[in-house]
Amino acid sequence: MKLKDRGQQEIVGFVLIVVVVMVALMVFLIISVRDSGEDVDSVGVANMLDVLIKTTSDCAVVAEPKYDSFEDLFKSCYDDESCSNLERSACEYLNESLGVVVSSMVKSEAMIGAWEVDFSVRDGKGILKWDEGNCTGSFSGASRTIVSGGRSLVVRMRACYI
Amino acid sequence: MVRERGQMKIMQMLFMIVGVFFFFVLAGLFFLGIMFKDVRGGADELAREQAISSLEILAAMPELSYGDREAMSLDEDKLRVMVEGYGASYGNFWPIASLEVYKIYPAFDSVVPCPAANCNYYNIYTDPRYENLQVGDSGQGNIEKVSSYVSICKRIRELGSVYDRCEVGKIVVGMEEISEVGE
Repeated sequence: MKLKDRGQQEIVGFVLIVVVVMVALMVFLIISVRDSGEDVDSVGVANMLDVLIKTTSDCAVVAEPKYDSFEDLFKSCYDDESCSNLERSACEYLNESLGVVVSSMVKSEAMIGAWEVDFSVRDGKGILKWDEGNCTGSFSGASRTIVSGGRSLVVRMRACYI
Repeated sequence: MVRERGQMKIMQMLFMIVGVFFFFVLAGLFFLGIMFKDVRGGADELAREQAISSLEILAAMPELSYGDREAMSLDEDKLRVMVEGYGASYGNFWPIASLEVYKIYPAFDSVVPCPAANCNYYNIYTDPRYENLQVGDSGQGNIEKVSSYVSICKRIRELGSVYDRCEVGKIVVGMEEISEVGE
């Protein structure tokens, strides 16, 4: 009788170990799947970001008609410069205009339900952030590095595909 | 008494087997859900990548591209020339059903086909077979349209200086769907 009880206890112990190992494996799998999705650049979002940073803005830092592209505008914002033709800082103009441009782009793409753009110094603090919509699908992202005065600035875009 | 005890043991075992079975079924479903979500996302991403690659080839053609320096940049002056009839002569050269470009930013309220003042839509080429089709006509389903963002650039003279101005646009290419053998 005692031998039978011990056998049952061992079976229960074995099942418990199997359950614990399975749970640990699943947690590991979920974490690894999530991580791999964020690291790879999405071609669609990278295309959006490339077109966005090439777009000419209405801000001329030096003098008209030398208007900054959004790439130059990110640098001007980091360097705390001002738009000479608009009498406002480059960061203020960037903060107002970038959201409008991305919003217009996203309106033409039915598959994108929400988006986020981050502008930050690499390994440093965030400078500006824009977002719109609520994500009900999965996020895809891409980033571009802009070099200004020896510092690397990072523009990261994430789009939520429905 | 012994019989009841035996039944009790059988029930215990049964509950255990049912519990373990349900656990593995749920774990399997959870795992499959994650796997298939990833596969579907990967397939969508591959389709987007393929579409953008094919559009990149078209955008890089000397007839449309803005210089050699940037990918996915179209020359607005070349688009204007192509829209005035030159696009039609490329029918045999381009293996496509249609090629359109429109501006996205600055945003517009209504579509103004080019050539016209402040136009925002360039219908560069449409295969004559699809020219008179309206949305909803039978046969419209034979064209699959793929699109991608492009920069639409032009050289502008202002205040005695020349500069490049790039706006946001979209290139839309219609491709004939090829029905598979046996369909």
